[in-house]
Amino acid sequence: MIVCGALVVAPTSTVYTPQELAGRPVALDYGNGTAYAGLQMLEGAMPRAAITTCAAPTSPAERFAGLMRGDFEATVLQEPWITVAEKAGCRLVSTTFFHGTWIAVPGVSAEAYAALLRALTRAVRRINADKRRYVSYFIRDWAGHSEVTSLGPDDFNLGRIQLKEPGPIPESEARWAWEWMASWGLLEGAFDATAQIDRRLERRAHELASI
Amino acid sequence: MAMTLTIERVMAFMGLDVLVARDEGLFAAEGLDLRIAALPPDEIRSAAEGTPRTPATNQGKLMARGEAEMFQA
Repeated sequence: MIVCGALVVAPTSTVYTPQELAGRPVALDYGNGTAYAGLQMLEGAMPRAAITTCAAPTSPAERFAGLMRGDFEATVLQEPWITVAEKAGCRLVSTTFFHGTWIAVPGVSAEAYAALLRALTRAVRRINADKRRYVSYFIRDWAGHSEVTSLGPDDFNLGRIQLKEPGPIPESEARWAWEWMASWGLLEGAFDATAQIDRRLERRAHELASI
Repeated sequence: MAMTLTIERVMAFMGLDVLVARDEGLFAAEGLDLRIAALPPDEIRSAAEGTPRTPATNQGKLMARGEAEMFQA
């Protein structure tokens, strides 16, 4: 699954570009992929010293509420809250995409992992054949949140819903991610591909999963 | 006999494929009994409690204590 993250500002904000967020508080849900995506979007727009962040709740519903209250200048959101924010008049000043990556205990068998991969591959093909049909899943995750439950399938920008059939993680991407996190002090030590990726299991599972 | 795999909870924004595969019987068709485990509500911490270098994430908690075999980061 590919995740879309967006840096979002309130309708009344004077910010129109990510560069204009220099020195202004951007709320990030530290420790989650969306927060790292937010940091990378900011880093692409300004020197690190100008990046100003504050801790935000894990729930995008709470981050959206904080944005609308004016608790901070911007935050990072994912679907369906990007769509909610746009409907509320908020502006997206940057969007990005990143892979969701599976982390497994060493004991997972190649056969079980292959079965998972085959099922996910078939699901990806079904969803990509008719994305609009499946956007209801984004709504049902947020039962009780009227901002979301009032959305209809046509409100969603399908370009932000991207699915790719699962494949092995390229070592270069794993290394870049590690080194980028280490550069922010989020990880310590050098990247060791053999410690992070069981290539034998991965290769066997993907061979078995080939459909 | 079906293979069993327990993963940590996913939501549509990062696990739409998992949810569709579960609901449409695609795991079962592969002989996989996929179970989705969720943290008890009283154990869920908000990222607002964390700092950039010491984040308060919920990801991987169930796997760390042997109650899930995989999670998506």
